[in-house]
Amino acid sequence: MHRNSIMAGFDRRQLLAGTGSALALLALGGRASAASGQMVVSNWGGDWNDRTMKFMEQPLVEAKGIKIVRDLGLEPERKSKLLAERKLPRGSVDVVHLNDSDAFEMKSHDAISDLDFSKIPNGKDIIAPLRKSYFIPWLYSGVVIITNKDKVKEPPKAYKDIWDPRFAGRIGLTNQLYFNYMMISSLITSGNLTSVEKGREKLAELRTKFSPRIYATHQQMAAALAAGEVDVVLNYKARGLQWIKDGLPLAITYPEEGAVAVTFGACLPNKAPNKEAAYVYFDGMLDRKAMANLAAASFYAPANGAAELSPELRAKIDFSEAERAKLKFPDYAYVAKNTAEWLEWWNKNVARS
Amino acid sequence: MSIATTAEAGAGSLPVPPSAPRPSVRSPVAALVGPGVLLVVLLLIGPLAILLRYSFNRFVPGELMVSAMTAENYVRFFADPYYQGVLWTTLRISFVSSAICLVLGFPVAYTLVRLAGPRLKALLIICLVLPLMMGNAVRTAAWMVILGERGLASSLVSLLGIADRLSLMYTETAVIIGLVSVLLPFMILTLQSVLEGIDRSLEDAAGSLGADHITILWRILLPLALPGILAGTMLCFTLSMNAYATPVLIGGPQFHAMAPEVYLQVQRAMNWPFGAALAFILMLTTLVLTVGATALAQRRYRRWSE
Repeated sequence: MHRNSIMAGFDRRQLLAGTGSALALLALGGRASAASGQMVVSNWGGDWNDRTMKFMEQPLVEAKGIKIVRDLGLEPERKSKLLAERKLPRGSVDVVHLNDSDAFEMKSHDAISDLDFSKIPNGKDIIAPLRKSYFIPWLYSGVVIITNKDKVKEPPKAYKDIWDPRFAGRIGLTNQLYFNYMMISSLITSGNLTSVEKGREKLAELRTKFSPRIYATHQQMAAALAAGEVDVVLNYKARGLQWIKDGLPLAITYPEEGAVAVTFGACLPNKAPNKEAAYVYFDGMLDRKAMANLAAASFYAPANGAAELSPELRAKIDFSEAERAKLKFPDYAYVAKNTAEWLEWWNKNVARS
Repeated sequence: MSIATTAEAGAGSLPVPPSAPRPSVRSPVAALVGPGVLLVVLLLIGPLAILLRYSFNRFVPGELMVSAMTAENYVRFFADPYYQGVLWTTLRISFVSSAICLVLGFPVAYTLVRLAGPRLKALLIICLVLPLMMGNAVRTAAWMVILGERGLASSLVSLLGIADRLSLMYTETAVIIGLVSVLLPFMILTLQSVLEGIDRSLEDAAGSLGADHITILWRILLPLALPGILAGTMLCFTLSMNAYATPVLIGGPQFHAMAPEVYLQVQRAMNWPFGAALAFILMLTTLVLTVGATALAQRRYRRWSE
C-alpha cells in the first residue's frame, strides 16, 4: 500500500513545484545587471593585470566613475567566450585584451567590431605599422635571442646561428610560443613568414640534433635560465629585459633576419553592453603618460609613438629605427588558417619525449 | 502512513477509523526527484548530446566548425599513431597508478579497520581527508617543488651520494607519483568502508581452523573485500584516465595524455569537432574498461565464493 501511494503520488503539480523551486535557485545566481558606469574587461591575470590596473585602469577609467569588473584568464578561454556570445542578443564583455593574431581571428569570425577612432583622440599617436581598424595596439615586442652572457661568449647573431652543435642541449623554448618558432623556421629557410610548410623541417632537425628543452611557462623558463639548465633562449625582448632586471646575467641580440613581432592590445566585442565605457578605456590605454609608465614597468615597447619615455629608457626597451623597420609582422590570415595544424605538428614532432 | 495524517493525529484530532477512505494526499516523491533529474538532464545529458553532435561536424581552419555528418574525426584518431600513442600512455599511467594505489592502500585500510585504536584511527582518517580539502593543482604544485631539477628529491639524492642529480620532473614516473598521491586517499577510504563491514570473527574462525595469514587473506579477506577493491580501483582508474592538472603540471609540454589533448584541441586549436571526438573516445574507453572489469570480476567472484 505504501508503495502504491508513492507511485500514485507522482503527479504533475508536485513535479512543477519542485522544478520551479530548482529553477528559482538557479536564477538567483544570474548575472549582475550591467548598470551604467560599469564595464567588464577580459584580460590576462597575474602581473599583466596588476600593471594594467595600476597604470591605466585606476587612474584613467575608474577615476572617471566607471566601475571595472575583471574577467581574467588565458586567451583560449576568453576567445571561446567571445565566440560563444556571438549569437546572443547581448554579450557580457566590453573590452577584451588579445594579441594581434587572435584579434584578427576574432575579427574574421565576426566577434569584434571595427572601431570609431573619432572617439579615441589618442589613436593618432599609434605608430604606423601597428594600426588596425579593429584593434587598439598597446604594447609590442619581438622574438629575440637571449643568451647567458657568462656562458655564451659569442652569442648567435641570427636565428639560423642557433642550429649549432655548440648549443646542443642548451637551447630553451617556451611551449606556448610554438607559432612564433614555426614562423621563425619559415623566415630562416625562405625569408618570409608564410612558408612554414617548408621551414618546419628545420625545427624537427633542431629537435633531433640539438635536443632543446621545452618549458610550459615563461616563469619556468626564467627558473631554467637561472639554474643554468639552458643558455640560449628564443623569447620576447620584453621578457629578456624583465629577467635582466631580476638579476640574471643575460645578453639580448636582435636577430639579423629581423625579429618576429607580437602586439598586445584590446578589441571591442560586437555585443559589448557598454560601448561608451569601452571607448573611454581605449583612449586611456593610449594615454602618453600611462603608456610610458607601463612600458617602464613591463619592458614592452609602447604602441604610442609619442609616449613620454626618457631617452635612456627608450633606448633600452624600444627597438631602434632600423630594428623596427626589420620587424616581421605575421600574415594574420595565414596564421589563422594554419595555427591548428601547426599545433598538432609541433606536438608530434617537437614537443614530444 | 502519510505525513499529513500523522500531523493530524499529533495535533490531537480524532484518529481516522480504519474503515474510512484514505484522504487523498500527494506523495512528495515527484517534488523530491524532479529537481535532481532535471539538473542531470540539463547539465549532463544535454551538453553530452551537444558534444556528440559536434564530434560529427567538420573543422575548417579559419571558419571553426562547419555543420556536417562525417566520421572523419574518429577516423583521424584511429588512423594516426600519435593519438593512439596518447591513449596508450593515458591507459598505462592509469593502470599503473591504480595498481600502486591498491597495493599501498589495502594495508593502510586494513590497519585502520583492524589494528588502530579509536584515537589513532580518527587521526589517520583526518590525515587522509585533509589532502582532499586542497585542490588538485595545489598538491601538484607542491610535487613540482619536490621533483624539480633542483628540488627536494634531487637534493636528497645528491646529499646521500646516490647520484649527482635526479631528473624526475617531466617524466612518466613523475606523473604516476603525482597521480598516486592524489588518488591514494580515495582508494583507502573506499577500502576502509568495505573492510569495516567484514565480520572479524570470520578471520578468527579461519585462524582457529588452522589457516595461516596468507590463506586468510587470500581465501577470506580478499573475496569478501572484492566489491570494495573493485570500487576503489574503478574510482582511481576513472579519475586518472581523466586527470588534467597532474599530467600538465608534472608531465610538462612533452608529456601527452588524453584530457590535456582534449583541452588543446578545443581551446588552443579551436578544433571543437575533433576535441569532441577525443572526449567521446576517452569516455567510451573508460566506460568499456570499467564495465568490462566489473562484469569479469563479478563472474570470478561468484566462482571464488563457491
